[in-house]
Amino acid sequence: MSRPVLLVRDLAKRYPMNHEAVQALRGVSFAVYPGEYVAIAGPSGSGKSTLLQLIGGIDTPSAGSVDLLGIGLHQLSDRELTRLRLTRLGFIFQRFHLLPVLTAQENVELPMAEAGVPRQERRQRALDLLRYVGLTHRAGHRATQLSGGEMQRVAIARALANRPVLLLADEPTGELDAATGQEILTLFRRLNQDGTTLVVVTHDEGLSEQAGRVIHMLDGRIRTDTGPSAHPSPTQTAAPL
Amino acid sequence: MSGLGLGWSLKNLLRRRLRTALSVAGIAISAAMLVDMVMLSGGIEQSFAELLLARGYQIRLTPKGTLPFDTEATISRAGRLIEAVRRDSAVEAAGAVLGTSLYGVTSDSLVTLFGYGIEPDAQALYTVESGSDLESADTLGVLLSVPAATLLRARIGDTVRLVGRLDPQVVTAGRHRNLVVRGIVRWVYDYRGQPSVGAVLTVIQTLAGQREGDRASLLMVKVRDDGASESVVERLRAAFPQLEVSSVADLVRHFKQRLVYFRQLAYILASMSLAVTVLLIGTLLTITVNERLGEIATLRAIGISRSTVIREVLAEGAALTLIGSVLGVCLGLVAARYLDGILTSFPGLPAAFSFFVPRRESLTLAAIVLLATGAVAALYPAWLASRAPIAATLRAEAT
Repeated sequence: MSRPVLLVRDLAKRYPMNHEAVQALRGVSFAVYPGEYVAIAGPSGSGKSTLLQLIGGIDTPSAGSVDLLGIGLHQLSDRELTRLRLTRLGFIFQRFHLLPVLTAQENVELPMAEAGVPRQERRQRALDLLRYVGLTHRAGHRATQLSGGEMQRVAIARALANRPVLLLADEPTGELDAATGQEILTLFRRLNQDGTTLVVVTHDEGLSEQAGRVIHMLDGRIRTDTGPSAHPSPTQTAAPL
Repeated sequence: MSGLGLGWSLKNLLRRRLRTALSVAGIAISAAMLVDMVMLSGGIEQSFAELLLARGYQIRLTPKGTLPFDTEATISRAGRLIEAVRRDSAVEAAGAVLGTSLYGVTSDSLVTLFGYGIEPDAQALYTVESGSDLESADTLGVLLSVPAATLLRARIGDTVRLVGRLDPQVVTAGRHRNLVVRGIVRWVYDYRGQPSVGAVLTVIQTLAGQREGDRASLLMVKVRDDGASESVVERLRAAFPQLEVSSVADLVRHFKQRLVYFRQLAYILASMSLAVTVLLIGTLLTITVNERLGEIATLRAIGISRSTVIREVLAEGAALTLIGSVLGVCLGLVAARYLDGILTSFPGLPAAFSFFVPRRESLTLAAIVLLATGAVAALYPAWLASRAPIAATLRAEAT
């Protein structure tokens, strides 16, 4: 078995809400291996999104640890964590969160600009990624001029911009109709087949079904975990990836 | 943000066009006020100094304890003093001036005039606009300002009758002279609409009853080399202790003391305009940042650094300030011109005087202060943006 991309150990998270402490996670442990497609499912309030935020280093656990490529996130400074999110992780949100004043291409370029990728190179890569998600013809359109499905595809392209080792998605089909959601699922499957490691938080049965591995959560704990799939090492098939 | 920075900031500002436009208008008005106050604070002195040096005369000698035309006090034996002053090799020219009230006779009444007694070879009070200047011994000629010519209904070549003193008992002319109009001139120190006439010193002295004693209001001295004027002042002070010897710098200093309240007012208003600018920019950016907290949290989540977020908000502040300042400078210049027109029409102020003088240094200073103000105003919203808790904000956005 190869070295895990992600190792989560005894993760717990408690945060205050309305003057009460909410125990969002209670000792969650699992590992994700290169090339896996993991769906984290469960009812609302089961701790899925909190888990994703801890994995992504945008929140800190009350206990336990998250290692990404062998690096303990708790050991990193805020600046190092930010850099890690920029270069090693890709985030996809339920509400897309594109910058409305920028075009699709500029949104995809944004993380690359921050990472210091030369202008010409990042423009070419942004176009390549938009082609990969089927949106070359919308490259010059502002985010506000795109449909929900198109915005989510731009968000996926943005998440892939700096060639992350792990793609994290939080309810990526939650704001989309069934047909558009299916398009995104197809895109995710293609991404995984092309070698991207995915961890997706979802309510979507279809997404859970197509994932190679499903972790069911309830009340901040893992209820079931179908276990590491036959985890292929990432393949370098699609050029933009 | 590298590569997207200022363009992104400008696009953000254009999201709420009306709000941004109103804020820019507010900043422009504040900036205009600041520019005007900066021009006012230094402009009065500069304009006064320029006025004093209009004809290149750097030194004034007046009765002890007075400033030029400040009182009706006069200097006696002016001719002898002028001769003594001219003996200084550093002195290029020197002349005596007598200022007094006169009357002009029209067909049906007397009009009040201000009379200058001058030495045409050494005068620093006027420029000829039409006709000719007086010859040094021309005791039959007179120069008129446009308002005086209008009042007396006189043209070049006409004869006008000037009256020096009225007998208070019978209101009849004590002294009078008929003089031929040689030229129309602009008197440098006249207020707007002032009817002034000028004739050679002896004529005006006679009309004013000051011939006996050869009296003058002041002596004006032109030094060959500007750099030598202070040493000439020192020599004149030693030679004429009974007189007040003032250089242009001395007069500007006196003037500054008298108008200190003007400067204070300018500073207070300038500070207020800066405070308004800070509040405007700070409020606008704080509102904008609060509206975009979700977006900022997303940016932070995908790896955009705090420093980038800070730079972006500061760039928005700088862009707002820059646009507002450019408009403000234009608005300030227009407003200054209008205000100058009002202020210089006050009685007793030379028409050539300016309150608002646009100087490169003062405009540069105003621009620097404004940009710094914009940056300071953007600090709080920038800090707010950079400190947005990512997870909590995204959680709040999701609900």
